[in-house]
Amino acid sequence: MSLKVLTVDDSKTIRMIVRKAFTPFDCELFEAENGVEGLATAAREKPDLIVLDITMPVMNGAEMLEKLRKEESLKKIPVIMLTAESGKENVMRIIKMGVQDYMVKPFKGEQLIERAIKFVKLTPKADTEASGEAGKRYFTLDGDVYRLALPATINRITSGEVENALKTKTQELSNGGKSKLVLDLSNIGGTSVPLIRLLVTIFQHCQAAGVAVRLMGSATLGNELKEFKETSALSIATTFEEAKAAF
Amino acid sequence: MPISVRNVIMNLDALDIKAFTTNAVHEVFKTMLSMEVVPAGDGSPDGFDGTRVVGSVSFAGKVLGNISIHMNEAFARVMTAVMLGMEEEEVQGEEDVNDVIGEMSNMIGGNLKSRLCDAGLRCDLSIPNITCGTSFHIECRNWARHERLDFHYGPHAVAVEVCIKEA
Repeated sequence: MSLKVLTVDDSKTIRMIVRKAFTPFDCELFEAENGVEGLATAAREKPDLIVLDITMPVMNGAEMLEKLRKEESLKKIPVIMLTAESGKENVMRIIKMGVQDYMVKPFKGEQLIERAIKFVKLTPKADTEASGEAGKRYFTLDGDVYRLALPATINRITSGEVENALKTKTQELSNGGKSKLVLDLSNIGGTSVPLIRLLVTIFQHCQAAGVAVRLMGSATLGNELKEFKETSALSIATTFEEAKAAF
Repeated sequence: MPISVRNVIMNLDALDIKAFTTNAVHEVFKTMLSMEVVPAGDGSPDGFDGTRVVGSVSFAGKVLGNISIHMNEAFARVMTAVMLGMEEEEVQGEEDVNDVIGEMSNMIGGNLKSRLCDAGLRCDLSIPNITCGTSFHIECRNWARHERLDFHYGPHAVAVEVCIKEA
């Protein structure tokens, strides 16, 4: 049976971030915009975990928590509180409320998951064959160097495909004793925020896996990448051979 | 061990509001959007092309003031798409943009508010406000401190203004 997680926050943005954080896991997500809705949903669904914002209209998080703790059937549900304020007094106030944990905004979805697994067991959803298919589409092997050719359009779907395929490939690279990757940007016409984000993810992932990365693409793109702090230090080779020689 | 809070009230002039705000902006952009914003030279407050979006939150208590975040609509939509994990074309109407920019303002304002409270200048934070338009000017008058900080992310500009005074 899926785990049930309830998010209570008046911000759609925060609810979306929480939803995305739990998406890779086998759980059912419920949402409420304020404490009144949150209490009603909690009573109906009996969630295994509640992620609760403090500042909300109609009924705030502190009031909702107080009422939750008075209900016999709900009082043991673990609650992670969200707050935009990290001041000492605010933190003490939250601790005194008797929540299991709290998170100060801004936070990343992964940080929330790290907190959540202290209270509930999260099981990853079954993997699909999609990452294997994407791997074949984007990766080729040339001697001891892998080539990852990014598609012309970087959007949510292609980014997700590349990221998933990369996870599998870097594992293969490490297992096979290969540690070189040429990131081929020849299909890319110009910089965009999704491209910069994907490059950051690729470099972070490869660094963690001990895989060296070299870039290949047009000189124009190389100049455009220098405008972004994240990619300002990257050098770009114009051919695959030049990129390989740079290892 | 019991936790205690030292109630030391600092003078507003002694606080490095610029550093607090810069750190808050960097942290919020990096954590929520994976964007490394870079400080830019001083620019004109009206130097945004096209429609400008301004998110602001106010403080009230031992200090009064507000913090506002300015950007053009195009970048606001980029931020919204990144934050909500969607394509720019999927960002529907103003509601999503307002929610994201409001939440960014809340986080940056909440961070600054926390530093003020830690300095003994206890105050409360308002809910975020969003202002959009093509031709308007926001003037800060009669504040003890007025700081303007400019940043850029690639070709996109962001400005943050803080106006503050003791109550």
